[in-house]
Amino acid sequence: MKITNFFKLLFSLVIFGFSVPSYSDNDNQQSTEVACRYETKVTPHNKSKKPSVNAWYFWRSSHMIQTQDTNGDRGEIWLRTNNDSVQYRKLYISDKTAVEYMPADMPTNNMDFNWDKLSNMLSQSELDSMKLVKKTHAMNRNAQVYKGKIGAQSIEVTWLMEEKLPASIIKKDKIETIELHLVEIEPLSVATQKPLAIEEISNYRHIDATDFGDMEHDPFVEKIMAENGDHHHH
Amino acid sequence: MSFIKKLSVVTISTILSAGIAQAADPTPGDWFNAGRQAVVNAKNLTPYNTKAKNVILFVGDGMGISTITASRIYDGQSKGGKGEENSLVFEYAPYLALSKTYSVDQQTPDSAPTMPAMVTGIKTIGDSLSVDQYVAHSEPNASVVDTHKLTTILEQAKLNGLSAGIVSTARITHATPAATYAHTANRDWEADSNRDAGATVPDIAAQLVDFNITGGMDVALGGGRTYFLPNTVTDPEYGVAGKRKDGRNLTTDWLKKTNSKYVWNKADFDAIDPNATDHLLGLFEPSHVHYEADRIAHDKAGEPSLTDMTTKAIDILKKNPNGYFLMVEGGRIDHAHHSGNAFRALTETQQLSAAVLAAVQKTSPKDTLIIVTADHSHVFTIGGYPQRGNPILGLTQGVGAKTPDLDMLGLPYTTLNYANGTGYTGASNAQAAGSKSFNAAAGAWASGSEGHNPTSYTPANGRPTLTNALVQDSNYLQEAIVPLNSETHGGEDVAIFAYGPQAHLFHGVMEQNVIYHVMSEALGFAK
Repeated sequence: MKITNFFKLLFSLVIFGFSVPSYSDNDNQQSTEVACRYETKVTPHNKSKKPSVNAWYFWRSSHMIQTQDTNGDRGEIWLRTNNDSVQYRKLYISDKTAVEYMPADMPTNNMDFNWDKLSNMLSQSELDSMKLVKKTHAMNRNAQVYKGKIGAQSIEVTWLMEEKLPASIIKKDKIETIELHLVEIEPLSVATQKPLAIEEISNYRHIDATDFGDMEHDPFVEKIMAENGDHHHH
Repeated sequence: MSFIKKLSVVTISTILSAGIAQAADPTPGDWFNAGRQAVVNAKNLTPYNTKAKNVILFVGDGMGISTITASRIYDGQSKGGKGEENSLVFEYAPYLALSKTYSVDQQTPDSAPTMPAMVTGIKTIGDSLSVDQYVAHSEPNASVVDTHKLTTILEQAKLNGLSAGIVSTARITHATPAATYAHTANRDWEADSNRDAGATVPDIAAQLVDFNITGGMDVALGGGRTYFLPNTVTDPEYGVAGKRKDGRNLTTDWLKKTNSKYVWNKADFDAIDPNATDHLLGLFEPSHVHYEADRIAHDKAGEPSLTDMTTKAIDILKKNPNGYFLMVEGGRIDHAHHSGNAFRALTETQQLSAAVLAAVQKTSPKDTLIIVTADHSHVFTIGGYPQRGNPILGLTQGVGAKTPDLDMLGLPYTTLNYANGTGYTGASNAQAAGSKSFNAAAGAWASGSEGHNPTSYTPANGRPTLTNALVQDSNYLQEAIVPLNSETHGGEDVAIFAYGPQAHLFHGVMEQNVIYHVMSEALGFAK
């Protein structure tokens, strides 16, 4: 599963049934700068289907969130600008190409990037809508375990209190179990695996996502449209 | 008295706002008389066989004939009429032709070779801007490109002492506006950072600002701000970095022109005095400007409409007693279609029509040739047997029917559809099986998407059950037969509408490059 799909899954997982947090939920609480490695596992309850596992990095600084598949080929970056806009780009690392989603198109598409949610994956208000079950330790850190239900789905979150990040999220329904587990966490300044430098990304080729429709002959656009096997060359 | 003289701007406005056929159901006599009057008008039509002082070329990017028809109906219905009898402003133009849009190498073209055909008189290959067909795609060598460059009507206008301007709702460096002033074998080289390593061909934004024929470009209004800013400068509206690596701030370079101004928001734009400004650069978004349907509600700093920009451009350009050439592009009709969203395509076309009205009101057909055309079409269809006045965005409902018509699965369907694109109803990796939406569901996005941009689909199982509430929502994506990440251009002919001097030279089915030759003839440039 690509990071993009993971995040969609994760965010849909945490959003459904929860109130949408306000931007100021944790506005005055600076999140620590961290480098994390997460693994996600999707286990279908139909035993004829195999589980899938995906590992990815998550880096957080005060004005940047970046993710990357551990194979290093795909990533995403959110930059908080100095007037509190959020610039979002998908990164195609081996192609040295970034696909941009422009501010003008975000409100049109009901996109309203919430920095609090992006940097913590869950907002405090979402946590508060679940039941605090116990205090515990995870990754040698203080943690809290929350449980809740979203319709027919059960959800359990182990929350790192200082870092404001999930150590794990487990969601179960009749179809599958989706697990997110934090595997490594360290301060960003000493991280062995670093995010791409902003300067390096600025040297990438940039494409406005709106222009894809006019770039059907572009080799990169052809490639990413075809990569899931549903585009047939002719 | 000519048709145009009879059909004054006031008359046009009256027809648009309170057409007779909209006010009441016409009787058989009304139909007969209106038909007869059309013939009388045609008999009285006298071509302006004179030289044009000014030429305004309107290009609805992707505005195929089905888009015009659907927009006409939508426009009429939004004014309270049945819609079919309505006309967009440019449909009152007395002269009409069809334009064959294929390029040297494409049966169905992109926007790059079609605009050079219109502004240079020569068809070329895909992705190329105002260079001939013999230069290789992405040719990096400036001297090679220079050898193959094609002089545009805008450049000829400047060489002959006229003023020149470009207006677009797309980036001002995008293919259609760029073809009027730039020469490159890669339409995507909009900023220097977009070029291949080692390329010596100047990027498109630099070509706009460095354009130096007789004082350079006089007016350039549209989007694409970050292509003009260095990467050390952040965008004033959103804070994102500029795209230029060469350190040039082209917005400040522009100000080296005489009596020049640069604006990036509506307040500053509104404050521009055309009489005191000779060179105006307006860049209102980092990339394309907002869709008209979203412009007022969502723009952070405020931005002018296409009509506002057209009006300001004419007011500046008309000061030149020698005349002017102006190109105006409704650039986001194309984007809305690519996204499979008819609502935004139709409302963009409505805005283009309003811009044409503004131009008609500010000019005289005695000295200004106005052309309205498209670069290409889209695979956008109007079908079924809906009754007169059926909502154009709605479910098809036949004459006398109380409920929507049903297909052979027993399911209702819409009048507007796409042959391919993002509205395919199988589950995609971005949205569930069933009808698709231009918007991600509120709050359900995570990593962002421009409309619905799937990268995979599973086959659809039958069709979804549609309701009028669903399909008339502004974000509904009309059903598409063939699942694609982006809806495609269409290959059929597009229309050319024309008013003014030499407009009568448009007739029959013409090659797209004839448009240049009519403009050249009208301005007296033809040899």
